[in-house]
Amino acid sequence: MDLDFTPQERAFRAEVRDWLAAHVPERLPSMDTRDGFEAHREWERLLADARLSVVSWPERHGGRCASLVEWLIFEEEYWAAGAPGRVSQNGIFLLAPTIFSYGTAEQNDRFLRRMARADDIWAQAWSEPEAGSDLASLRSRAERVAGGWRLYGQKTWSSRATYADWGFGLFRSDPESTRHRGLTYFLFPLRDVTVRPIAQLDGEPGFAELFFDGVFVPDCQVLGAPGDGWRIAMATTSSERGLTLRSPGRFMATADRLVRLARSTATDPALADEITRAWMDTEAYRLHTFGVARRIASGEEIGPASSMGKVFWSELDVRLHALAIQLLGERGLLAGDAPDAEDGGRWLDGFLFSLAGPIYAGTNEIQRTIIAERVLGLPR
Amino acid sequence: MKFAFTDDQLALASTVRQVLAAHCPAAAVRQAGKAAPAAERLPAWPQLAEIGFFGMLVPEPHDGLGLGLADAILAFEETGRAALPGPVVETAAVAPGLLGDDDLLVRLAEGRLRVSVRLGDQVYAPDADLADLLVVERHGELRAVPAGSVRLTPQAGVDPVRRLFSVAFGSPEAVDGGKPQLGRRLDVSAVHALRTATVAVAAQLVGLARHLLETSVEYAKSRRQFGAPIGSFQAVKHQLADVAIAVDFAAPLVYAAALAVDRAGRTAPAGGVDSAGPTVAVGEVDRAVSAAKAAAGEAATRAARVALQVHGAIGYTGELDLRLWLARVWSLASAYGDTGVHRSRLRAAILGTPDLTRWP
Repeated sequence: MDLDFTPQERAFRAEVRDWLAAHVPERLPSMDTRDGFEAHREWERLLADARLSVVSWPERHGGRCASLVEWLIFEEEYWAAGAPGRVSQNGIFLLAPTIFSYGTAEQNDRFLRRMARADDIWAQAWSEPEAGSDLASLRSRAERVAGGWRLYGQKTWSSRATYADWGFGLFRSDPESTRHRGLTYFLFPLRDVTVRPIAQLDGEPGFAELFFDGVFVPDCQVLGAPGDGWRIAMATTSSERGLTLRSPGRFMATADRLVRLARSTATDPALADEITRAWMDTEAYRLHTFGVARRIASGEEIGPASSMGKVFWSELDVRLHALAIQLLGERGLLAGDAPDAEDGGRWLDGFLFSLAGPIYAGTNEIQRTIIAERVLGLPR
Repeated sequence: MKFAFTDDQLALASTVRQVLAAHCPAAAVRQAGKAAPAAERLPAWPQLAEIGFFGMLVPEPHDGLGLGLADAILAFEETGRAALPGPVVETAAVAPGLLGDDDLLVRLAEGRLRVSVRLGDQVYAPDADLADLLVVERHGELRAVPAGSVRLTPQAGVDPVRRLFSVAFGSPEAVDGGKPQLGRRLDVSAVHALRTATVAVAAQLVGLARHLLETSVEYAKSRRQFGAPIGSFQAVKHQLADVAIAVDFAAPLVYAAALAVDRAGRTAPAGGVDSAGPTVAVGEVDRAVSAAKAAAGEAATRAARVALQVHGAIGYTGELDLRLWLARVWSLASAYGDTGVHRSRLRAAILGTPDLTRWP
């Protein structure tokens, strides 16, 4: 057991750090505005040109076959450099691992390269008005037609869908089925779907409702076998919950900013104690992730234990931001364009963003139940 | 970078676990808490000696295994899981770094020398009546004193097994030609000893917490109320899930602290064995040590609190073995600095606020 980076890992870190120092832009407008979305797309293309948009992918799809530890190093450097949020994250972190595992060769070639360059930006379409945490109760359906399927129904809380190009989600393809059976995983262009933007807590249309009125999807845009959608989607959601989406880098960067803020502000001892605890928990999350990365690298399935990470990081993220806002007092709640705003309102933006964490990808109540039943073995 | 235990490290822990399962059952821990002869207060010690447990950290030339704290950290975790009685950490983790003497190290490695310590501002020496040798810090100096030459006053407390003692010098028997018997001065770093003790105890707390979680889960599966196992109720499930999370995220801090102590020990001028390996900033090591103890203490305290709540009234009795594990958690959570002390040290290191605490 060690915590020493190899010369190769250190060289990779240095390369990434140098490139980011030379290229990270001034703060971009919110990716939930039209201009901001396109500015983030341009940034993704710049990353892709340096083969840094999807470092862990195979080279033929635009990556550089980085190991998990190298990917974690990339993330540490990325967020420490204050680089923009990833507008393509639903595609590259959620969908891509599923295409690698279940996609046809044609699907791999057709979608991944364009995804890596943000030529196509993807939105997820899981939840429905009556199927949130209880995703298996979904009712949107797919009807078999010649050469493909027609999709009907409604999806909601679809992140990035307002401006994205493509969507992915589950539909009930067997009308006789219930719950987890008879679901199929579809890939569809959003231009064929009616999209109604929904304003989030920050007022911007970060997610949207999707209405399907007989949208045609050819067979080549079914991911995996028809009826096998639940199993395939669960592989994706455990990516979202676990290691692949939530690298520690972002929380480490936030904890560093929080500590710098606390050092430059008169800090109440009680608050200082909470900040210390949050810093320590960030370190715990980093070390824990190194351990998980090692287990994955040696072929272990993490499975439901990834729910522990999801609860931990999402609640940590809220605490880190809430503490900064407490340190700043009323100034902490000023919008970015207010004259007295601290750091362009980044703490407030981050705070509102963090509040979604304990809700999405399965609420933390659901996660705790998963931990109790599937990790600890308590009865249902 | 490979932040995972090697097969050798896992095998050592597994052997210790098997020995403890066979020779340190709950009944033996209970018996050790009674007014029993020393042999009964040290279950599994002879068997642990046979597998070289007490020589894990003793250098190979002195018949030890020559391992680092990180190699042995899971083995210490197992002693926590079993609530193994006796001065385990003081003898097996701390003493090898303190005793330079050939004969003492050989005896230590063979399991023929038991040691207790009173370091820094630590008030009591644990299990001192079972020790052959006491290492005490006085006026910044470490001294090794034969246990028979000091006056020990028992301070009965919550843990009947891990007993605490005041240590007084200059007892009539200890006077030699009118001078108090102060033992031999040890020319090693007290800081390294204290860090080692703190991290090894943190590992024991992780082990205790794992045992408490497993026990509580088993109880929640079998205990029925309202026609269902109480473990099927979400209010119970979520408390146990939170314990699982706390333990899962405390453990890596403990393992990383063991690595940091090993690296610092290799480069420390006083206790240094050799000068290989990268140097480590002192602040970094102390941060790792304090984070480990704070997190492990907190996780184990939560595990104890939830275990008691899940067991309900039966858990509040002396009839269940649970109480022995609860007491050990309380006892070790406050040993070598409690969570508050260590978080305060961390706060000073991170935020630059004054460190007003004493460690331990």
